[in-house]
Amino acid sequence: MIQRLLITSSKWSKKGMLNDIESIKNLARDEISNARCLQDIYDLKVKYLGKKGLLTGKLKSLGSIPREERPAFGRILNESKNFIESLLRKQEDIFKSSELDKSLRTEQIDVTVPGCFIPTGHLHPITQVLDEISGIFISLGFTVEEGPEVELDYYNFEALNFPKDHPARDMQDTFFISDDVVLRTHTSSVQVRVMEKSSPPLRVIAPGKVYRCDADVSHIPMFHQLEGFMVDRHIHFSDLKGVLELFIHRVFGRDTSLRFRPSFFPFTEPSAEIDISCVICNGSGCNVCGGTGWIEILGAGMINPRVYEKAGYDPELYTGFAFGLGIERVAMLKYGIDDIRLFPENDKRFLEQF
Amino acid sequence: MKASYIWLKEFVDFNLLPEELSHTLTMAGLEVEAIEEVEEDTIFDIGITPNRPDCLSIRGIAREISAVLEIPSKDISAGVEKEEGEGPVVEIENSGLCPRYSSRIITGVKSGPSPEWLSKRLESCGIRATSNIVDITNYVLLELGQPMHAFDLDKLSGKKIVVRQAGAVNKFRTLDDEERDLSKETLLIWDAEKPVAIAGVMGGRNTEVSESTLNILLESAYFNPSSVRRTSRSLNLSTESSYRFERGVDIEAVTLALDRAAQMIAEIAGGRVTKITDKYPGPFEPKKISVSFKKICSVIGVDISESFVEKRLRNLGFRVEREGEGIVAIPPAYRNDVERDVDIIEEVARLYGYDNIPSTMPFMQMSSPPEHKRQELVKILKNSMTKSGFSEVINFSFLNPDALEKLNLPSEDRRRNLVYIKNPLRKEESAMRTTLIPSLLNNVSMNLKRGEKMLRFFEVSRVFLSSGQKLPDEITQLAAIYHKDMSVSIWQDKHDGFYNLKGALENLFMELKIKEYSFERDTSSVEPYLHPGKSCSITINSQKAGSLGTLHPGVADAFDIKGNVILLEIHDIEKIQMALPGKTTYVSLPMYPYVERDIAIIVSKDITVEQAKKIIQGIDSDIIESITLFDIYTGKPIPDDKKSLAFSIRYRSAEKTLTDSEVDAVHSRILKRLEAQLKAELRS
Repeated sequence: MIQRLLITSSKWSKKGMLNDIESIKNLARDEISNARCLQDIYDLKVKYLGKKGLLTGKLKSLGSIPREERPAFGRILNESKNFIESLLRKQEDIFKSSELDKSLRTEQIDVTVPGCFIPTGHLHPITQVLDEISGIFISLGFTVEEGPEVELDYYNFEALNFPKDHPARDMQDTFFISDDVVLRTHTSSVQVRVMEKSSPPLRVIAPGKVYRCDADVSHIPMFHQLEGFMVDRHIHFSDLKGVLELFIHRVFGRDTSLRFRPSFFPFTEPSAEIDISCVICNGSGCNVCGGTGWIEILGAGMINPRVYEKAGYDPELYTGFAFGLGIERVAMLKYGIDDIRLFPENDKRFLEQF
Repeated sequence: MKASYIWLKEFVDFNLLPEELSHTLTMAGLEVEAIEEVEEDTIFDIGITPNRPDCLSIRGIAREISAVLEIPSKDISAGVEKEEGEGPVVEIENSGLCPRYSSRIITGVKSGPSPEWLSKRLESCGIRATSNIVDITNYVLLELGQPMHAFDLDKLSGKKIVVRQAGAVNKFRTLDDEERDLSKETLLIWDAEKPVAIAGVMGGRNTEVSESTLNILLESAYFNPSSVRRTSRSLNLSTESSYRFERGVDIEAVTLALDRAAQMIAEIAGGRVTKITDKYPGPFEPKKISVSFKKICSVIGVDISESFVEKRLRNLGFRVEREGEGIVAIPPAYRNDVERDVDIIEEVARLYGYDNIPSTMPFMQMSSPPEHKRQELVKILKNSMTKSGFSEVINFSFLNPDALEKLNLPSEDRRRNLVYIKNPLRKEESAMRTTLIPSLLNNVSMNLKRGEKMLRFFEVSRVFLSSGQKLPDEITQLAAIYHKDMSVSIWQDKHDGFYNLKGALENLFMELKIKEYSFERDTSSVEPYLHPGKSCSITINSQKAGSLGTLHPGVADAFDIKGNVILLEIHDIEKIQMALPGKTTYVSLPMYPYVERDIAIIVSKDITVEQAKKIIQGIDSDIIESITLFDIYTGKPIPDDKKSLAFSIRYRSAEKTLTDSEVDAVHSRILKRLEAQLKAELRS
């Protein structure tokens, strides 16, 4: 049939030309739709549109038709070329995408092989709890202060109204460096240091390491405390309750109840100990709270005027509160850790849980 | 302090079950730490804070219950029924140390076991019963809080009492048959010739009451609290007696207790009681404390009625008078803790009930707090190290001095100058750390023993260096340790750990935008505990700031560590703080494309990458943008004493697109310079 087309086209006639073009288009359409693979498409492209292609041949013969017919035929031939090209492209796309699909199907990876990364390290749980607690107070406008860990007896005791030869000193087993230098037994030692260099209003927290000469199943000789204090002209005991309540609710949740009990610290008057409802048993009684449903968590009180006197503040003008809490204790309750000695041990399996 | 439920009930007729009483006491500030059921009784173990010596007795606790519950308490009406003869002679040399001393003699007593009720009561409160005379003194101690002592009168020379300091006497044998060393200031009780007791602490062996004792001299006194405490501390001897004296007993109840004990002895052990001798050279002066109602309400933060204040203070035994817009309160003698207005306020708050005080939020002026620069830096350091795979450890600040030996630190090293603890718990914790390294090595050693692998730890903590001042210098250091384990992971890590740790630090510097740092091989400054060939010092802003290197194998052995250990130390994080750039400034993005050319050279093995890089950087051309090492190769076909270094160099001009010939010109100058200065050959 192709032979015949070629023969009929050898002599110009308008009708013959139109028939030829139509036949080429039909033939191309049939052949393209019968193509089996990408290569067939490439072959057909050459056959119709290549240098010696059927349609190309017609285009070449444009010169031999009468001048006045040329524009019309030119247009027809171009449309036919576009028509065949678009059929070819369409079919080519179909074959290409199916071939890609086929080859992708053979390229499999095992997605269950572990990923490749530097495993992240872990912050010590004490750091995490300290950061969380500091963050709460910083958001309330407190500033962070530090003081020396090897501290003068004066700042650790004397200025906080623990006179020498006073039984109140028995409350804290002290490591001594010399007669008047100790390892600070509490971060309260920062109080008078701060008061000496700044004047009210004060909102300060002092986190850090403290030392007690005591080691058994529930005591370690170095642990962490956070001291907080606030001094201004009209600070009330009720404000202490408000601030600590807010803090406890942020750390342990709004459902936690607080209980304020009278107590004694030489540097606060009135003094209080604060219990929270046991976070383990919700107050029904367990071995963590000793069956009482309450857990002691904070010591606090209104700053004793004697401390202001040491710092050179007018005790008639200023009032304020101070509180201190043990970070290990908070961490133990928060994470359900039952042995305080795990903190300084630094077992990798322990550290990696936080 | 142990207190019996039944005994308390004899003093105040409360209508509370033991659990309810326990709660009441706790919420009043007398914390019940334990409750124990004993036969028909309940024993409360109460933590009495040091400010409340008045509660170190049944009578004192009962007074407190009575005040809290607002029900009357019955008081002791002790009196000696029959007195015969004059009381003993008592002389007090220093009334400041002994403001009151009262005494009676009881003759013709019959020593023997106590009646059952008495010994039972003592034992339920934790005191062992011995014989009637001693048991009665202990009974009165528990009941009234007044320590008592009975001397065997017949062993008292001159049958008199002198209260005087030890002076030249420096040894004394106490009741427990221990020879005690005395200081000159120790207050003693003497007879006409010799010391017979350490005042307020313990009686002497020489005048002890025994089964054969017929006549006794009974002491009830008030000794200066500080003096008793000093004595008790220096003797390292704390007794029921010294415990109360050093906190302060009720000076006004001294004779009440004496009479109570004398009468009980007369009743139980028989005998005739003499008249009283009561030397009271330092009489009690009541304190008058003024406080306004306004201040009470302001400090507590709630409106409390005037009548409440007056009534509840009276319940506590205070005398209260109105004075202007407030009151004058006069605390009883046994409340030696109440000294100023805030103490009165505390009493009011306590009886009002802390739980009844509302919670409020303080009003305070806004202010701009100073920045927490150092804490911020510490936070960044810690977070950056965790990102690089290191976990934080927090070790005790203590140091075992032997560890410095193991680290090979020379004797003149500053870290040898230790701050020692006078009373350490263990020798291994007897000094303060001057370096974090031993702690980290112990962390690795311990974890290895437990079978853990992939150990990467860091610590940011203070070290304590002697300063010549009273307080040492406290310097915050960063130290990290990397233990390379030999097990293979599926993602092969070719390095021995040195570069992992170095990379962690470089990453930290990148995070902090610190550019002025270098790692320098300088054998003189390498730490003695590091491998001399695999260590370097870290320089920040041309200052030595720390060290990095492989642990010396000898030191690894000393710390019982197998495997490869790399250590990093920044000796003072202040050095990092000072190197922080002030601000970040934007540099405009380049307009023109770059051209990248590689260059691989063969050099002698001892040439460092840094040397080669410096030479390239030294080329006088403004189109070299960056130099990146991408390969180090040793092995065939490179000769044994040589290695190949391959750099990728990026060229870019700020003014135009570079042509090949412009790049070629600089590139070939680089090669020529490397050939000339490092005897490098181009690797083909």
